[in-house]
Amino acid sequence: MKLRRNFGQENETGDINVSPLIDVVFILLIFFIVSATFVTLPGIQVNRPKVRTSTALEKNSVLFALSEKNQIHYSGKAIPLSDVPKLIGMANKKNQKPVIIQVDRWADAAYLAKLINAAKKVSTSVSIATRKNK
Amino acid sequence: MKKGHLYSKGENTEINVSPLIDMVFILLIFFIVATSFVNEVGIHSDYKDSEILSDSVNPPIRITLPATGQIIINGNRVGLEGVAPKIRNAFSSNAPPSVIVQVEKGAKAGLATQVMDQALVAGAKAVKLAEIRK
Repeated sequence: MKLRRNFGQENETGDINVSPLIDVVFILLIFFIVSATFVTLPGIQVNRPKVRTSTALEKNSVLFALSEKNQIHYSGKAIPLSDVPKLIGMANKKNQKPVIIQVDRWADAAYLAKLINAAKKVSTSVSIATRKNK
Repeated sequence: MKKGHLYSKGENTEINVSPLIDMVFILLIFFIVATSFVNEVGIHSDYKDSEILSDSVNPPIRITLPATGQIIINGNRVGLEGVAPKIRNAFSSNAPPSVIVQVEKGAKAGLATQVMDQALVAGAKAVKLAEIRK
């Protein structure tokens, strides 16, 4: 009896208060705006090598992938080696972003060396992405 | 007269926030979808080309990876677990050496990465990947 009367009274007098909802949505919005780093992913899955000294790499970087078939992938497309310096230059007009290379463990190491040397010419930091060790 | 009309309007209307909430939600969803969190781990070595190649006092250790999948240091075949001790022995007295991993066409990138990792485990200050040109 009591319960029902209480509910009735509340429904009669009040609307739903949306201001806390708006507050929360604004906070979420601001969080996502601040944390948004638009990284272009290479777009292929590679079988990464397993190592011991891996460290966390910079989040906001230029990503390249070297596939098992020795093709360089950037932003979902296979690209020739000669385009690598140009693409790195386009990706970091403002600041010096580091370069991360996702290499397949069965790719040819000679291609990896060529790719690293090409990237090293224009970027100060080049890293090889590896598997997460747990 | 006109002014009075304006005031009467202002008295009984509230600001309608629903379009605002709609916009904020749309922005929120856009940023949630567009944000890609890239958490890469990997190996990383700082080096300068000139530093490695012209260091005659403390010459770099050269590790060769032929296409057959072996690891050769100073003409001796070693296993992957033998790389770190070899490097440690080589610089027990001197400053940490540079390591050049020389790969032939056909060597696997996974092995090259693991050798570089072992060199970093042994404390090498700079590890470079280079291709052997025949």
